[in-house]
Amino acid sequence: MEFVRILKNELIKTIKKPRSFIGFGVVAFICLLLQAAFYNDGKEILSFVTGQLENSLTIEGQVLNGNLICFILLQTLIIQMPLLVALVTGDLVSGEIANGTMRFLLTRPASRSKILLAKWLAGVFYTLLLLAFLGVLALFVSRAIFGADDLIHINSEVLTVIQADDMNWRFVGAFGIAFLSLTVVATLAHFLSTVMDNSITPIVSTMAIIIIFTIIGMFDLPSFDILQPFLFTTHMISWKDMFEDPIPKADIINSCVILFAHIVLLLGASLYIFNKKDINS
Amino acid sequence: MIKKIIIIFLFSWSVSQIGFAQEAESLITAVNKKFSLVSDYKAKVLMKFALPGIRINTLSGKVFYKRPNKFRIRAKGIFFVPKDNPIKDIPKLLANTKSYTSVITGYATVEGQRCAVVNVIPLDPNLELIIGKFWIRVKDPLIYLSEITTKENGTIRTQNFYGNYDKYALPDKILIQIEMKKFKVPKLLAMDVKKKSKSNSVSKKSTGEIYMLMSDYKINTKLPNSVFTEK
Repeated sequence: MEFVRILKNELIKTIKKPRSFIGFGVVAFICLLLQAAFYNDGKEILSFVTGQLENSLTIEGQVLNGNLICFILLQTLIIQMPLLVALVTGDLVSGEIANGTMRFLLTRPASRSKILLAKWLAGVFYTLLLLAFLGVLALFVSRAIFGADDLIHINSEVLTVIQADDMNWRFVGAFGIAFLSLTVVATLAHFLSTVMDNSITPIVSTMAIIIIFTIIGMFDLPSFDILQPFLFTTHMISWKDMFEDPIPKADIINSCVILFAHIVLLLGASLYIFNKKDINS
Repeated sequence: MIKKIIIIFLFSWSVSQIGFAQEAESLITAVNKKFSLVSDYKAKVLMKFALPGIRINTLSGKVFYKRPNKFRIRAKGIFFVPKDNPIKDIPKLLANTKSYTSVITGYATVEGQRCAVVNVIPLDPNLELIIGKFWIRVKDPLIYLSEITTKENGTIRTQNFYGNYDKYALPDKILIQIEMKKFKVPKLLAMDVKKKSKSNSVSKKSTGEIYMLMSDYKINTKLPNSVFTEK
């Protein structure tokens, strides 16, 4: 019961912060902006990719539809979402230390571990809310505007047409993996927030780590090959595998295990450091 | 003596060429006669695709045709049809007999049928069509195989398999082969950072196949034009 009370308190604190609303605002703005752009110029934008086929084939059916827009939005926003998540979760511990409220919080009878876990769960809940908000705007609003049809999914080598009837469970899986990926980011920011004593540095550090790891993952260089499978950024785009045909189940499970291992390790390290930490302010 | 032999040879060769041209024309006329029996049709269609770099499931739908060249496939979802569609283009091409010259260049057996290989060359060099090659069954003429070569889109090869509707020159099965480039998108544009680049040794050009299984033809039902335009 005590833990629930702390968690409830942390959730209220997280949601009441003005910066928590920035994430929702950015997601809404980007979704509506891209939906408007695709509504006006969607066919031109698509012809950039499908143009090489149109020399010999005519594509029949509603290529520009809600499922495709949702996929594009998810692909676009998965780059921005870590920043929005880190903006809130990177401040959860260090913000209170910087404000001097952490000492007061620790005077409660609850253990340090419970307080830290409650803060982490509040961050995870915020991530879930943000992703659910994206899901509603990207999938349901796009379907309402553009209708629902088959999805043309493109990777560097194959264009796959996925039937509209198959889309709902694939999106549920994709959002599930995206949630796991963003939880890693939230846990990383939370960990850095535990290590550092001011609120900006953990946020900036989280983004710096994501940028560095993404750059390492982007290049096909032999020296990076050893590192790439272990970087969480490599597995953050595993949600896209839900739109392959056949679905690479082994790859998805491997990515989920690696992402989950990151969460356990980072959360474990946070608990260890927070329990040992001298909090003087 | 040698002069006489050469003259006789040239004369008989010219006569045979005129004969081949006349025979080609009569074969095309017979095919056109069958095409003219059909002013419109609709049928059920099952489509299978084997296109390089494209994965798409088999799908079913309905096909609609109206003379001279209105054609549409209606099916649930997204699918591909050849840009130059031989099903609607061939009847229109052959119908205008004054726009091309035709000649038999040989004989071949297709699906166990003895066919004349008829080359159709347009008279207007500015046309998109370079050459049309048709394998037409000699007895009771029907097009079994065709190759349409255009300036922009290369060669489209179509093989027809006839069954219940051969008296209308309507095939039960059609295999369309298209020259096309393998679909490829840069890795970074596709955000495909997990996939390793493969060596570029494989030819980018390949042949795509679209297989159409037609059934339940409804012929000359006076199809409204709206079926070709409405969503």
